[in-house]
Amino acid sequence: MRQTRRTAIATVLLTATALASATACSSGSTAQGSSDQGTFTFWDPYPQFDASSDWGKRVASCGTPAGVTVKRTALDTTDLGNKALLAAQQGDSPDVMLVDNPVVSTLVEAGILTKMSDLGVDTSSVQQNIIGAGTIDGAAYGLPIGANTLALYYNKSVLDAAGVDPASVTNWDSLNAALAKVKAAGKKGITFSAIGTEEGSFQFLPWFWGAGGDLTHLNGSGGVDALSLWKGWVADGYAPNDVLSNTQTTSWQEFATGQYAFGENGTWQLANAAKAGFPYGVITIPAKDGGPAPAPTGGEFVTVPVQKDTARYAVTKQIVSCLTNAANLLGTDTALSYIAPTQAVQAQQTRADSALTPWVSAVAAARGRTSNGLGVKYPVISQQMWTAVQGALSGSQGPQAALAAAQNAAANHQG
Amino acid sequence: MTRPRAGRPRAGRSLRTTVIGVGLTALMLFPVYWMINVSLTPQQDMRKSPPDLFPLHPTFTGYQAVLRDQLPYLATSLLIGVSTVVVTLVLSAPAAYALAKLRPRGSGFLGLSLLIAQMVPGIVMAMGFYGIFLNLGIMHTWWGLVIADSTLAVPFGVMIFTAFMSGIPDELTAAATVDGAGAWRTFWSVVLPVSRNAVVTVSLFSFLWAWSDFVFANTLDSGGDLQPITLGIYRYIGNNNQEWNSIMATAVVASIPAAVLLVLAQRYVAAGVTAGAVKD
Amino acid sequence: MTLAHTDRPPRSPAAFRATHRTRGPQAAVRCRRRRTQLTAWAFVAPLVAYLAAFYLYPLYRNLDLSLRHYTVRSFVDGNAPFSGWANFSQVLHDPTFWPALTNTAVFTVASLAFQYTIGLALAVFFNRRFRLAGILRALFLIPWLLPLIVSSSTWAWMLNSESGIVNHTLNLVGIAPVDWLTSPRWALTSVIIANIWIGVPFNLVVLYSGLQNVPAELYEAASLDGAGAWQQFRRITFPLLRPVSAITLLLGLVYTLKVFDLIWIMTRGGPGNSSSTLATWSYRLGFGTLLPQFGPGAAVGNILILIALLFGLLYIRIQRRQEA
Repeated sequence: MRQTRRTAIATVLLTATALASATACSSGSTAQGSSDQGTFTFWDPYPQFDASSDWGKRVASCGTPAGVTVKRTALDTTDLGNKALLAAQQGDSPDVMLVDNPVVSTLVEAGILTKMSDLGVDTSSVQQNIIGAGTIDGAAYGLPIGANTLALYYNKSVLDAAGVDPASVTNWDSLNAALAKVKAAGKKGITFSAIGTEEGSFQFLPWFWGAGGDLTHLNGSGGVDALSLWKGWVADGYAPNDVLSNTQTTSWQEFATGQYAFGENGTWQLANAAKAGFPYGVITIPAKDGGPAPAPTGGEFVTVPVQKDTARYAVTKQIVSCLTNAANLLGTDTALSYIAPTQAVQAQQTRADSALTPWVSAVAAARGRTSNGLGVKYPVISQQMWTAVQGALSGSQGPQAALAAAQNAAANHQG
Repeated sequence: MTRPRAGRPRAGRSLRTTVIGVGLTALMLFPVYWMINVSLTPQQDMRKSPPDLFPLHPTFTGYQAVLRDQLPYLATSLLIGVSTVVVTLVLSAPAAYALAKLRPRGSGFLGLSLLIAQMVPGIVMAMGFYGIFLNLGIMHTWWGLVIADSTLAVPFGVMIFTAFMSGIPDELTAAATVDGAGAWRTFWSVVLPVSRNAVVTVSLFSFLWAWSDFVFANTLDSGGDLQPITLGIYRYIGNNNQEWNSIMATAVVASIPAAVLLVLAQRYVAAGVTAGAVKD
Repeated sequence: MTLAHTDRPPRSPAAFRATHRTRGPQAAVRCRRRRTQLTAWAFVAPLVAYLAAFYLYPLYRNLDLSLRHYTVRSFVDGNAPFSGWANFSQVLHDPTFWPALTNTAVFTVASLAFQYTIGLALAVFFNRRFRLAGILRALFLIPWLLPLIVSSSTWAWMLNSESGIVNHTLNLVGIAPVDWLTSPRWALTSVIIANIWIGVPFNLVVLYSGLQNVPAELYEAASLDGAGAWQQFRRITFPLLRPVSAITLLLGLVYTLKVFDLIWIMTRGGPGNSSSTLATWSYRLGFGTLLPQFGPGAAVGNILILIALLFGLLYIRIQRRQEA
């Protein structure tokens, strides 16, 4: 019985603390935070890199000049945004946080990020369209660590066998003609990801923007054209039906079978492409009437969450500058297979590897999803957009009706 | 029907039953086989159509990565799993005994609370714990995770124990009382031994839940020194890329020690039959 | 706890009478009853404290989230204004609500029916003594050892419309390929199949342990009376297993209502909303987009809790009636 009583006392104590924390939390005054002066916390969405990786060492080494230890935690990328909100609510935000670029505007809306100008970090060397995703009302809330975007990988063997010259693919008509030839030659046309998450929207945007689509009017003619294009591919058998459940990784696996002529995928697959076992090439995604379509920018931003103890910012600034100096950017972006956000480092990258040249121009033409004042309106629009894509491709709605419903829902939500 | 007739079990029949049993198990485990198959399939063949039924050109890169990276995570998972079992049993068995046999007032309400407790979505529980753990300073500790994981199993444990213990004839406990045993002794030396099957069942599931928990681990232990295998897997799930060879290989490697534990535990269930619980 | 105990195994009339005879005068009874109450609460107290410590706050949080108008900013600073039933009314009028509710019902009923039936059949099967029975039974639990992200992905792999083994097999026997995960007609069925697979071991283990407590003599007596296998099952196994069956189904209901990771990984609730349940919808609202909507997400979660509560009350009612 004594045992029981002791447990009871312990649990009662726990209850008390739990309740205390409940009240503390609702008044928003929890004080713990990053209390240790010599340790700076750092979160990133790169669980694939452990402490012994180049990235892990680079992060750790960025504390040395300031004489502090950087404690790095790698989190699953889809969880990072929510965890950041939760930590901020509890007053436990990390000192530095690397987040996917469309998340920045959400975190700014939550009021938990510090402006780069307040820290005294210079952002002028960064390409405008890349930092756009982290710029809200003219102020930058983060520094891109690198950028990626989408293009069309093609399989040279498949195109040769079908008698298609990749250089001839310059607009949607020539792309459709190429797909028809490939199908006639008994191979598969194109694979992409149309999954019902942000990834699906990310992949749809080059076509949407390439037809002149406007995110604030989803059911404009550009949007309907783009969705009809995708739907036509699935209906005509140019694209497999499983694009609806494809992530960008599984879509890549399909392309890697060597059966597909084209695969829409990102800069980060370059390393895998070299291992695929067949000759490949890359072209920019064509706009409807020719020319490169604007693709969305991908990649993470270095951000600095608000701290109660403002004295920490001086060291934080040093860490941020260290992570984004030219030498480190080059190393990081090479490891991640990203394009650097500054022209100086881009030049170094293309000098080292000329295969990156088309990607540098693709990134230069790319657009931030939350740019142009869209900010936190984007997540709502994006959700409706991927819903419409799913509805149209699965055949439950026509493209026009699906996008009209999406526009209606997005507008309702904003209103 | 199910019981063997008293006396000689017929060898031929038993063999036939075994064959059927193996067949059913094989059918059930086909997805597991498929997972092993994928773990050995090179990247470029993963979406091959039609798929290879056997890994004809196996790649062992996944397993190499796992054996290099994952063993510490595996040990942590075992530690957390076993500790969770202990916490769950200590909390649920005595309470269930009281609910089943001593019937305190308000037990109906308690039963409903247990039911509702299990309905709170894991992610909401995790958010709640985040605040509590931060204030108690037990964030990023393995035993903090044990406390969190036990919440998955304690309500289940109480309900299962209660269901089983209420099936124990009252005469059994009454006899103990007549012999002068207090409630605790009755529980410890009469009720608990007789409830061996329930103990094994509850242990199994509390182990399995703790073993496979991801939400709590991710929210409460992602910065810890000791992390479970469900977080270890995330080394192969990058922000843009998933290494399916290694993910599947981790699952295969991780399930082996746990499977051995399960087989051993199942022995106990079989042995429990002879305990002759319900004879009066 | 009345939730769980129903009819006890039959006891001999003699024993029954004996317990009744030991009762003394009323005062002594009352005194003893009070003492039993105290002991009972001593046993239950740690559990109660535990529940209060670890469930009260999350439950309160969930309720609070659903009754306030949360934006990401007010989630952080804690100044969300009270908004009454606004979140509930929003989700009830959302076009996703009815599909999600019916999908939840279909998903839950179909999963439970098959999990329980298959689990019971297997439990009865494994209850025979045969070589390897113990090991095979343990192997049935392996699906539970796999992290959900792995088992769900494996199912998505097998059901892939282009290169999945299932369609390949169907093709061999001359059946046209099915778009398991990508057609609105099949997506829900696919996730139900995978969920049944995951749930069978649970039912098997709990029901099997239940079977161990059925006295063998009953079968011996029945078989002397010439009862066949089916008769024994109907007259002995099934009725005596009822308390365990009831708790298995009730727990199964709770767990099935909650399932979201499996569906989320396999279909993300899609295509469209064709495999969205209340649980996946709640997750998507609260955590599945770049801009979380905590309030409506929690409201959907609380509707789920309410549904489980209704079934819990129904269960207690049935129990009471049976005991009476």
